[in-house]
Amino acid sequence: MSPRPEAPARTRRHLLTAAAVLFVLGLTVWSANGIGVSLVELFSNLGRMGRLIDDSFPPAWSFWPRLIKPLLETLQIAIIGTIFGSILALPLAILAARTVSPSRPLYWLNRNIMNVLRTMPDLFWAMLFASAVGFGPFAGALALTVFTVAVVSKLTSESIESIDMKLTEAVRASGGNWLETVFFSVLPQALPQYVSYVLYALELNVRASTVLGLVGAGGIGMVLNTQRTTFQYDRVTMIVLFVFLVVMLIEQLSAAARRRLV
Amino acid sequence: MSATIVARRPGMPRSLWLGLTLLILLVWSFSGLEIDGGRVAALPKTMARMFGLFFPPDVEYGRQSVVPAILESIQIAWFGTLVGAALSLPLGLLASANLFPRATRLVKPLLAAVRAVPELLLAIYFVPVVGLGAFAGTLAIGLHSIGTLGKLTADVVESMDQRPIEAVAASGGGALSVLRFAVLPQVLPEIVALWLFRFEISLRASAVLGVVGAGGIGGVLLNTLRYREFARAGAVVVLTVIVVLAIDAVSGSIRERLVRE
Repeated sequence: MSPRPEAPARTRRHLLTAAAVLFVLGLTVWSANGIGVSLVELFSNLGRMGRLIDDSFPPAWSFWPRLIKPLLETLQIAIIGTIFGSILALPLAILAARTVSPSRPLYWLNRNIMNVLRTMPDLFWAMLFASAVGFGPFAGALALTVFTVAVVSKLTSESIESIDMKLTEAVRASGGNWLETVFFSVLPQALPQYVSYVLYALELNVRASTVLGLVGAGGIGMVLNTQRTTFQYDRVTMIVLFVFLVVMLIEQLSAAARRRLV
Repeated sequence: MSATIVARRPGMPRSLWLGLTLLILLVWSFSGLEIDGGRVAALPKTMARMFGLFFPPDVEYGRQSVVPAILESIQIAWFGTLVGAALSLPLGLLASANLFPRATRLVKPLLAAVRAVPELLLAIYFVPVVGLGAFAGTLAIGLHSIGTLGKLTADVVESMDQRPIEAVAASGGGALSVLRFAVLPQVLPEIVALWLFRFEISLRASAVLGVVGAGGIGGVLLNTLRYREFARAGAVVVLTVIVVLAIDAVSGSIRERLVRE
């Protein structure tokens, strides 16, 4: 029993830590139970893993000519999603920037809708659009458009909030209305960052577009799904390798463009 | 008048070139996907009809089938992230150029390779090994988390204050003492915040793993939509959004507190 004055604070801290540790442990045990995690199962299935590796390698090299068209479709989906999403995102970003938004309720509404949109994984959108407009690349393009709007408008609105407001004041002082402050102060200042976000969205979209086909939303993922469900893993591996080559290439190009712009 | 001023800016040719490229890409994409104006014009009506069918969501189905599946997604994300985090810590330290200048050259490319494969594709390979279900998804999330968290851990360690390392080494501490007394106390709060952030991302990833049979809510949404049971699909969408928003809010506030301290 030490009469040091900091003792109660320290005890509270220790209690808090203990509670946090217990909570984390509890959550972990609950998860492991629910999932049915078992090391025995993992190791007793090592034989199956060997067979899978046998099935997957070497990849079916001769399969590549049948991948060109779906791959181009994948890129087209990503491009349409990126361009349309980015066009729609710009006005929304201006409305969602606290410092320049013309109306409080509009700002608030827009922010919250965008937050909700962002909680949905991109494949959820793909599933919803695929069942609304039918299977195929159109559904994928729509899904990526929504996804792009959510991502780019959020990032751009943050950039707009951090621009130099003195310039905006100057435009207003010389008689400019709200639209003119947007055109002569907000956009010129935020544009380079906006373009780099668009390129970032393109990278995300190229990645996402390769798996859209798993839910029937077009692109190379549809081929992947057929080969996966028929257990032709040598072809699956070929597709995965092919996709990575292209994704890496696009990312390098986009990263180079971003470095030059910013 | 203002338009002419803009048009004479010296930067114009480059943006003109950019615009032209975009236009060509767009035309190419549209012709490739065979998207016609009629389908685009009908879009608002189609979407409104479908979302109309979502409401009111099927509450009973939500309670019986959606909630357990969402909980399973959370379990996959939590356990996968935790295992990934535990394994990523030593790997991330090994990948830090300031601590292990030689090991970093091997470990960093390794982490990049692991990171490059999305969870969904990893799950496609785990399903035939451990069977359909949540365990395959957990392994996929765990493996991917090692790649991303290992890299972020190395980033944090490389950008920390280097002086305590020298201080411990100068007073005769070995490699383990340096880790225990100089590195970990400084970087641990930030790294735990990264783990939580990763959990939020893993949750979104685990929500779609069901598409390839790796457990969680994704498979439920796929099936309800396949059989065009829209009120049930509505329950899936509404509940998923609510749960993800709530977890993001809780996790975000904990992260903020961790980094502030």
